[in-house]
Amino acid sequence: MNQEYQYLVGKLQEALACDARVGALDIKITIAHGRVHLTGQVPTEERRANVGLVAHELMPQLDVRNDITVLELSESGKPEAVGD
Amino acid sequence: MIRIAAVGDIHVGEDTHGRLRPHWLTLDQHADVLLLAGDLTNVGSRKEADALIEEVRDLPVPVVAVLGNHDYHCDNPLGVRHALEAIGVIVLEGETVTLELAGCTVGIAGSKGFGGGFAGACGHKFGEPEMKDFIRVTEEASHRLEANLRSLQTDYRVALLHYAPVKDTLAGERLEIHAFLGAYQLGEALDSAGCDLALHGHAHHGTEKGMTPGGIPVRNVAMPLIKRPYAVYTLGGAKAGGSGAGRHQRETLTT
Repeated sequence: MNQEYQYLVGKLQEALACDARVGALDIKITIAHGRVHLTGQVPTEERRANVGLVAHELMPQLDVRNDITVLELSESGKPEAVGD
Repeated sequence: MIRIAAVGDIHVGEDTHGRLRPHWLTLDQHADVLLLAGDLTNVGSRKEADALIEEVRDLPVPVVAVLGNHDYHCDNPLGVRHALEAIGVIVLEGETVTLELAGCTVGIAGSKGFGGGFAGACGHKFGEPEMKDFIRVTEEASHRLEANLRSLQTDYRVALLHYAPVKDTLAGERLEIHAFLGAYQLGEALDSAGCDLALHGHAHHGTEKGMTPGGIPVRNVAMPLIKRPYAVYTLGGAKAGGSGAGRHQRETLTT
């Protein structure tokens, strides 16, 4: 990763954490060859779209590939007996 | 036997309406109490607090919560707390509550906790005042947690945290951020005072099951990790079961 891209990753992480449309601290960001690649998981489709939007707003000169997924919940599952 | 449902990091926002409530409305079939391990909202705004209480309102079991770092982002954690308390949720920060559930008493000591890291890679009260303040916050939360657990004269004692008390349940998270995910002082407090179960969230990419060096079971119930609306843990399989109805007595220690 070149020097400029390293700073951009830091700035985008900060934006994704602090922007109230996203508020996510665990989005994985890779920037290479003029493209931002975003991976991770968020609770809703709206938040997934907002991750891409914030990235595009911050660095409109780069392509954004948004591979964020939406967390799907399963049923609660079997109880665990703790300490027995 | 008591059945404890627990989940953290639900990150409720204006866009998550009704996502959890359908699962929680039948909680009394599976659990006697619901414990929420922080990051209940995404940024702690008033609108998110309103969305949160619509998810939690009038559930069929008592609800006990601690806040997480996300609930502080809009600098109004008391707003989130008061919104929850207005609908009967018990919110703990350096406090305890005793519940009577299924014929047993269960004491819960709740604290958000804080970071600092774990043995071999942790911060110290050394150098700049900001660094000393950081670790001091963790130490104070841990001392209060220990005192609160010791104060509980109940059949079972549970610690409810947001930050992790052990690094076992961080396995899967990048080592570089462990110091921001939890602190050994919290685990030390658990081992010193003793308890039956410790629950936390915060570490979305960690591991559900861990243990303190002294043998206390620790469970990371961050929803992005467990991928369920709640996990259920039972305590005291040999003791009599009962209904989900509960009443509570709140206590606050000022240590």
